[in-house]
Amino acid sequence: MTQEELLSKLKTIVEPYVQNQEEFQKLSGDTDFINDLDINSANLVDVILDVEDEFGIEIDNDGMEKMLTVSASIDVILEKLAAK
Amino acid sequence: MIGNDIVDLKTAEIQNNWQRKGWVQKIFTVSEQNQVMISENPHHLVWKFWSMKEATYKAHQRQFLLAPKFNPKDFVCTDSIITIGNYSYFSISKLMNDRCLYTIASSITLRNVLYTSRVFKNSFYYYKNELKKIIAEELKIHSSRITIEKNDNGIPMIMIDHKLTDIQFSLTSHGSFTAFVIVL
Repeated sequence: MTQEELLSKLKTIVEPYVQNQEEFQKLSGDTDFINDLDINSANLVDVILDVEDEFGIEIDNDGMEKMLTVSASIDVILEKLAAK
Repeated sequence: MIGNDIVDLKTAEIQNNWQRKGWVQKIFTVSEQNQVMISENPHHLVWKFWSMKEATYKAHQRQFLLAPKFNPKDFVCTDSIITIGNYSYFSISKLMNDRCLYTIASSITLRNVLYTSRVFKNSFYYYKNELKKIIAEELKIHSSRITIEKNDNGIPMIMIDHKLTDIQFSLTSHGSFTAFVIVL
């Protein structure tokens, strides 16, 4: 999977929880789920569960605590995919 | 140090399906999960635990100026005490009119802290002005000199004449509700 494919999958996962569409339109690696996209922190759990389902991986506590931005999430997903 | 968190129960019901497979396991300890399972009102208990963890996260992050982390499971709720690593926090949770759950967490037992807290409905900007008003009155300065700015870790800070202060406070908003708590 290329970085672009991964990013586009992540965007699809995150979209239903986004409350700031303007920021979502200009999403980049630095985009912060809570501070930029106004995703409710309880919905971050849903993002993580959706990521697990979509990529067939399990995200442990160490992975989860980093998943606050787009780039950090991509790093965690790549790491878990490599370990599969 | 102090932190607060509010959960609009109606909004939570619409936006968060905590009964989704895997959801509680990701954020609650086994003991917390068991308490939810046997609770007469699991919906309230889920959001009570959640607001305890969030309020404590904010107090703890402010205390040690920590970078943001998503680690709700590390905050362990036992009655009204929340522990994170070697640190303990005290909390007060209130169910308000069956509409929202509000928690204040503090590193010092709240009985010994002089704090002011207010909860608002449908006032998304007004609550920050009210907070500034309270600070202005306490410090006997004009409220236009007070601003709230986030630091590099995203922690809101009270600035006076654009200079950083160490005023302890916390803001929270969810659904129709907003609230602040401040130690003065």
